[in-house]
Amino acid sequence: MPIIVNLDVMMAKRKISSMELAERIGITTANLSILKTGKAKAVRFSTLEKICEELDCQPGDILEFKKE
Amino acid sequence: MWNKNKSLFLSRILTDVCAGLAVIFAFFVPGGAEWYNYISEPIGFLADKNVTVPMIIIIYFCIAMAFCVLWSLHKLLNNIANEKVFIPENTSCLRMISWACMLAGFSMAVLALWRAIFVFFAFLLIFFGLVMRVLKNVFENAVEIKSENDFTI
Repeated sequence: MPIIVNLDVMMAKRKISSMELAERIGITTANLSILKTGKAKAVRFSTLEKICEELDCQPGDILEFKKE
Repeated sequence: MWNKNKSLFLSRILTDVCAGLAVIFAFFVPGGAEWYNYISEPIGFLADKNVTVPMIIIIYFCIAMAFCVLWSLHKLLNNIANEKVFIPENTSCLRMISWACMLAGFSMAVLALWRAIFVFFAFLLIFFGLVMRVLKNVFENAVEIKSENDFTI
């Protein structure tokens, strides 16, 4: 998929663990792992909003479009 | 009180009963074919020829197809019992059922060369195979939608 999820980069910048972030945004670590590894097929606006709020970033910092 | 589990149990029992009946039926095919050749009205392109041997071969082929269908139904019911409904394996089962019905239908169409009445059975089987094929297509899309839903975070 040409959409790349840079969540792990953002998490490393903010020095936050998967478990902590999952707990803060209210999703399971398994789902966060799906999101981080790029296996997710869609992201809810509500989830994206919470991630941006917790990591203090913009959606564009997490999602990137690259032509195949 | 009637519930989902009892309904599933009934379906499994009926599948097993059908398998048993198919086995019993298989023993009577040669005798039945001879009897049918004797009593049937010879209408068809090869009406003057003896229908016994082709009928035995085609009926056994149809029984084999019936076992394929029953095995697929058994797998489907097992998966449903394990709460795995929208999975690719079930789509394969439906595809198998569809092809088995279609092949049985085409074999019946061949038998119609000897006795035209089998055109009716051929039509029914091919029609049922077509219905199952459409159902398989619907199921295939449902599996995709389920996977999309599962991977929406």
